[in-house]
Amino acid sequence: MKNLSNLVSESFMNIKNSLMRQFGEDPGKMLLHTGTLGWILSSLAQVSAVVFNDKIPKKQKSFLIPQEIADGCVNIASFYLFTNSFTKFANKMVSTGKWRTPAIDAFLKKYNLKKHIGSVDFNIKELANFDEIRPAYKAIASGNAIAASTIGSIISCNIVTPILRNKFAADRQQKAIARIEQNEKPKLCYPKGISLDTFQRYAAAHSSNGMKI
Amino acid sequence: MRISRRPISSTPLGMAVKRFSKSVNQTLLNAMPDHIFTSERAIKTFERIGKYISPAENRAILGATALGLQVGIDAMNHRVDEETRKISIARTIAKIIAGTFTGFTIRKALIKSVDAFSKLPSSLGKDGKPVQLTRLNTFFSPITKVLANSDEYQNYKNGLGNVLALIVMTFTNFAIDLPLTRFLTNEFAEIGGLNNEKS
Repeated sequence: MKNLSNLVSESFMNIKNSLMRQFGEDPGKMLLHTGTLGWILSSLAQVSAVVFNDKIPKKQKSFLIPQEIADGCVNIASFYLFTNSFTKFANKMVSTGKWRTPAIDAFLKKYNLKKHIGSVDFNIKELANFDEIRPAYKAIASGNAIAASTIGSIISCNIVTPILRNKFAADRQQKAIARIEQNEKPKLCYPKGISLDTFQRYAAAHSSNGMKI
Repeated sequence: MRISRRPISSTPLGMAVKRFSKSVNQTLLNAMPDHIFTSERAIKTFERIGKYISPAENRAILGATALGLQVGIDAMNHRVDEETRKISIARTIAKIIAGTFTGFTIRKALIKSVDAFSKLPSSLGKDGKPVQLTRLNTFFSPITKVLANSDEYQNYKNGLGNVLALIVMTFTNFAIDLPLTRFLTNEFAEIGGLNNEKS
């Protein structure tokens, strides 16, 4: 029992330490990962909201349910892909020195590193004497990561997703309406189809000289 | 059949993707202007964003912008008939309000709670004196060398608060968001001229 308690307490501490490592340095990454998880949960709830709403007629549901599913899938994928790329690129702008403060500029000048500014392989954080400008760098990097992650989410969730999901859902609605209308048409019950064999036997038994078209 | 243990990034395809991504990044970086933020105000703004925009504020910003952008996009969706468009707008507004309300409130509450239960030896009380550490007020404290008032520690508390909020929201999504969205959709549909039976 004591072992189990120790195990739980150790695992909990490991989770906390891992979160400290993951999120402490990079708040943009934290917003991205937790945001993606959040969209997954919220999409599940939103689909259920339409499915269980009796006041929405079948015709509208045929649009709204695929709209919600599409919304969820596109939201999650576009949120992750778009926000991730946007945040990573904004981080690159700071880590390669493209966007910098006078303190960082002076630091790069001091160590004759200005020629590397804007090179994709250059990373200020990986420099041996980074500690000299750590506070100045962090002041701009944290805010930049959060701003980029927020702007990326706004573009992906509030512009890209609604446009894509509306297109996807409208196509689905057209198909669903066509299917419903097809089902509502009276079915031809008689005469039933006959096989070629039956037809040939019938034709032979009731042969006629003329052919009616 | 033998399964290769080589990481995907070291396969020919992985390396080609890496090279392509690198060249796209470099092209984009070259296209961006070089900028030194000389204004004190701009630097302070970056600092403030880093310090004060927690996941709760981030969710509120997303919700506020969604009201303007998503509703406009739904209103301009002429691929569907007018009735469907109206109910789609009603539902979008309802979803945004319900989602933002619960998302912001729960995140804010959980981040505050994590803050109260993750004290470090360097944590100061309201009176400016070091806080006496107990089992309870260090419940969420990790083993760390960072200071209690550092940005890293604030990021950790925001992150943990957000993760806990997501767990809570697994239940509140069904208990609060769902009925609230349904109620608001019907209300907005009625305002939009769709009667209850239709909507």
